[in-house]
Amino acid sequence: MSPEIEQFLSGMKKTIEEVVMPNLTDRFAQEQAGIVAATLGFLSTIQDKVFHYELFENQEYKRILQDVLSTLDTDPALNDSLRAVVEKVNSHFQHDKPDEQTALRPYPFIRGSNENMKEFLCEFIQLQPEMSGQTRETFEKQLKPFFKSLETRERSWVKGLGFDPEAEQQQDIGDILYKNNLLRSN
Amino acid sequence: MNNYYTTTQANRAKPSDDWIADIRKSYPVEKAIDEVFTRKLRNRNKAAGQNLDFTRLQKPLEEFLKKQTRQSDIEVLDLQRLSGGASKEQFTFNMVWQAPSGQKETRKLMVRMDPKESIVETHRLRECQVLKAAWGEVPVPEVLWIDPEGEQLGQPALIADFLEGTVQPPQPEAEDKMSGVGMYFNPQLRGALSEQFVQILADIHAIDWRKKDLSTLDVPTPNSTAAILTSFGLWERAWNEDTLCAHPVMERGALWLKENMPIVENPMLVHGDYRSGNFMYSDDLKINAIFDWELAYLGDYHDDLAWASLTIFGGPDENGDLLASSLMPTTQFLEKYEQLSGNKVDPKKLFYYQVFSFYKISVIAAATSIRVAHSRKTHLDAMMNYAGGIGYIGLSELNRILDIAG
Repeated sequence: MSPEIEQFLSGMKKTIEEVVMPNLTDRFAQEQAGIVAATLGFLSTIQDKVFHYELFENQEYKRILQDVLSTLDTDPALNDSLRAVVEKVNSHFQHDKPDEQTALRPYPFIRGSNENMKEFLCEFIQLQPEMSGQTRETFEKQLKPFFKSLETRERSWVKGLGFDPEAEQQQDIGDILYKNNLLRSN
Repeated sequence: MNNYYTTTQANRAKPSDDWIADIRKSYPVEKAIDEVFTRKLRNRNKAAGQNLDFTRLQKPLEEFLKKQTRQSDIEVLDLQRLSGGASKEQFTFNMVWQAPSGQKETRKLMVRMDPKESIVETHRLRECQVLKAAWGEVPVPEVLWIDPEGEQLGQPALIADFLEGTVQPPQPEAEDKMSGVGMYFNPQLRGALSEQFVQILADIHAIDWRKKDLSTLDVPTPNSTAAILTSFGLWERAWNEDTLCAHPVMERGALWLKENMPIVENPMLVHGDYRSGNFMYSDDLKINAIFDWELAYLGDYHDDLAWASLTIFGGPDENGDLLASSLMPTTQFLEKYEQLSGNKVDPKKLFYYQVFSFYKISVIAAATSIRVAHSRKTHLDAMMNYAGGIGYIGLSELNRILDIAG
């Protein structure tokens, strides 16, 4: 289909910058139009990667939650609060199976699954004080690389917005998503 | 996003009375904060978005001023929206009135008004009280009148003197920065403004708040964690009321902040948003106003020190070295503060408030700004979405500093 989304966006950006903005006299309106143009520019850089971003997150959250379940599984003294979250995760994995071809699912399914998995992981983090010492230590160790990967990914995603003083040191989001075959074909 | 993927997301978008009651029980906050946060949640269910036609304000403003001044022939002229700023709608106007001298006079004033939902939900009467407490102690605009509940002006608002000056000097890349984020001051400006910036902060912390009318601020018990409990409670509650998505790094941060709360020995008046972008200077390079007191509270001065030197608000000098609030190296800022205030900088406490600062900026920019744009309840929807980018840098920095914390 043509035109591609990028073409729509760049056409709108050009019109706002070259037709609308020069004819605005109100300072507030100029400021807002500038932000709209900058937003369109940002959307151009990410619009074709949104689906794969969510797919990538889907894999990441499934992987970390499976690791966490394995850790908790070895703890005989797990309390009811933690057990309840474990049950929620197991139940969710019936709905979005870790070994399923998620890539064939529609975007809202993947996004919805991710939002649920984020909440489960957050609940586990909140419940850390209720874990035994050894379990908490293992849990924290498991999370560190996950946090790093999340931080790097998100910072790359927003680099085009122009706020990051370290923007030049951030990888492009396309490099993170597509290099090294990180998106598995499961 | 039109669909809510989880029950929590649906509750946040359409809060029920039970959900609001649960939230109020879960996070300890000051009484005034509970009042505005609860009002925000109740209003969230109302469909009306933000009305951008500010001419609606003309008539109520005239009526309000007539009541306040007890003059029937008040005129409001040249009502204009101010650009810049993010949290409140701001307007200027000329008020034609009879001055106390008996002469007909024109006075330029400003209105600072809550949008339907704000990037930070705050209490107008509280801000008014703090501004009045600071009046005469440090440079602030004089607050004249307040409509704390918005009964007359439609939304809570205060009216203050309009001061002339510069907030953001011309930027080298010929592009405006979002106020206070990565701004640049040339060496002449830095030379003139840096010490004043620190002196005023020291003066704020020295205000004898016990002698002021600050009835909307809770007074924390000295030598306890009471001040940080409610201060952190505010931000944790804001996150849980506003975010569109759960975020594991925020939970990591919240847990660390709760498990490592330092004692506040001697609560002081903390500005709460002291940084470049929130002060103005005159043509003779004197800081003539400190703005945005809405987050002020009684707490630990390290909070202002950490916030003012937060890397996100800093800008580089000519060598590319990052400066605290774009004015001076952080070590110099802290040394100068110790010298001018007599307050010792405790590195451990400073570190705690640095973590807290990254948590706060993440709440503001990755949660609340995106929420208010999502709800169409602000005058700056495009900017609020865009500002989400700052939130993700905040989250990244929060994660990094938590790695250092171990």
